[in-house]
Amino acid sequence: MSLYLAAFGFGLVSTSVLAIAAVGFTMQFGISNMINLAYGEVMIAAAYASYGLNNAGINIWVSLLGGAVFGSVSSYLINRVLYAPFQKKGTALIGMVIISLAASLMIANVLLPIVGYYSVSYRQNVGPTFHAGSIALTGVQLAIMGLAIVLMLVIHSLLKLTRLGKAMRATSANPTLARNCGIPTRRVIDTAWLITGALCGVAGTVAGMNSDTFAVASGAGFLISIIAAAVLGGAGNPYGAMIGALLIGEVTEISAAAFSPEYKEVAAFAILVLVMVLRPQGLLAKRGTLAAAG
Amino acid sequence: MTYYLTTLGVYAGVDIIACLALNLQFGVSGIVNFSFIVFQAAGAYTAAVLALPPDSQNGGFQHYVFGAQLPFPIPWIAAAVVGGVLSVPVGLVVLRHLRVDYQAIAMLVLSVIANLVITNARPFLNGAAGLSLVPQPLSDRFNAYSPTYLWAYVAVTFVCCALVFFVSQRIVKSPYGRTLRAMREHELAVTALGKNPVVLKMTIFVVGGVIAGLSGAILVGFITIWAPSTWLYPETLILFAAVIVGGRGNNWGALFGAALVPVGFEEATRYLPQFGPPGLVPALQWVAIGLLIIGFLWFRPKGVLPEKPGRFAAATPVVGARLTKEPGVS
Repeated sequence: MSLYLAAFGFGLVSTSVLAIAAVGFTMQFGISNMINLAYGEVMIAAAYASYGLNNAGINIWVSLLGGAVFGSVSSYLINRVLYAPFQKKGTALIGMVIISLAASLMIANVLLPIVGYYSVSYRQNVGPTFHAGSIALTGVQLAIMGLAIVLMLVIHSLLKLTRLGKAMRATSANPTLARNCGIPTRRVIDTAWLITGALCGVAGTVAGMNSDTFAVASGAGFLISIIAAAVLGGAGNPYGAMIGALLIGEVTEISAAAFSPEYKEVAAFAILVLVMVLRPQGLLAKRGTLAAAG
Repeated sequence: MTYYLTTLGVYAGVDIIACLALNLQFGVSGIVNFSFIVFQAAGAYTAAVLALPPDSQNGGFQHYVFGAQLPFPIPWIAAAVVGGVLSVPVGLVVLRHLRVDYQAIAMLVLSVIANLVITNARPFLNGAAGLSLVPQPLSDRFNAYSPTYLWAYVAVTFVCCALVFFVSQRIVKSPYGRTLRAMREHELAVTALGKNPVVLKMTIFVVGGVIAGLSGAILVGFITIWAPSTWLYPETLILFAAVIVGGRGNNWGALFGAALVPVGFEEATRYLPQFGPPGLVPALQWVAIGLLIIGFLWFRPKGVLPEKPGRFAAATPVVGARLTKEPGVS
């Protein structure tokens, strides 16, 4: 039993990492109506950007900001240079998904010669370990959870309380109508990619801080959990992604305790299959958002 | 030299078969099968474990299931069957309710997970190390290392290619192929005409799975090894690049693309001098594959050999004539 409680504690940390990542991923889907398969690789690239700063002797929390800026700028560029022109040209969804997978492979393979194949880890002081029953978490892990909660509240306030958030929601719901109402959709979309890119960069760095080591090859594993969380919650819905992250984060950690850590992502996959069979529109989406012809 | 040429021949044949199958699924029917390589791997593993002796032999250095040691045509047939049978549950989950990019990510995730499971589940198919010493077909009767055998293998591979090409052409030119193309262009319209898109997609998905399984069997029979590292998900993207470059929906295009991208591209870059840190050249190869896909989708989305538009001798002029005579249309 104590094993499962400990796994529950780790699950909360995984949830925090996953929530930051999945909210960014799902907002990109919402605002641009496309699945950005390069997301996992941008996360890894940002984690390495933070690693570069960290390795130069800068504190990990300051390096995290560097990772966020890197993720933000590179996501913005990927959308502006690659995705948006293709969408403007009228490339179908089928083409967009192939383009984003190609982009993902290209980022990974540009990164590989630069950073190498080997796993790296951050220089960080994990702080004292806090105990609550069988749950034992380090100071860093608690800080990551706090950061995730703060970021979720920021995203919530952004979407619900600011004019920009309103414009983003309008663009996501119906871009043509939003443009006709005088919303500068192009600028809104650009801002959305900057914000989600920052989330992506933060997520990559905290994922590296939470696990002992990371490597370029970790990107695909990240992507699977993120896709599972986003689809489970209802793609395009940030609140759905948060709930999805909680479920996926806990299920993966508890199944790792129950079976074997190698099969972590298999549990995420099993949930993804169940969702796709039983409720492909996700937990929080309205019925019909995923109709075949849409 | 003989070994090199025959290896090249078999790889070319297998790539052509795989590209033809992917063209049926992706080019003709619009199914983004990002897990294509899994079906090829399923066929290869099936053929391997059916041809291998029980795993207690060879000193028991590798562990796998079955080990039936069946004679030649059975492993190949079984591989094709397994490729098709595996397509049924995957297709039923993926192809029924989901939007096309959801289908794609579902298959992508399947491809990653399948590789992960096979890599970690060692007793099943020998895990990350993979299977080796797979007996070549009929190696009990012929010397499998003689040039004659190697060339005969190439010949058999190309016979299979021709067979698959013939079948693909028949499918593309049949009324069924026409319906598939119509579904790709406008699914709702086809549904309104009384066609069931799920049945259409499932059928071509299973056909593609059968061909993919066969291609895996042909490959493993020649190279005699098969491991998870040979069927990582990016391998599927090479086949996509081939079909896109060759021309989506055109079997000749798939043929051309297969010869150009997996065969020509990989072989041409093999002789490049290795420069920079180790791993730089393969990494740049992947970048080039990505650029190839993006470049073609931007500048020439129909590929080098575009799909020929369907012609209906009587219908076209009639429609055109009526439109021009219509008084209201200007």
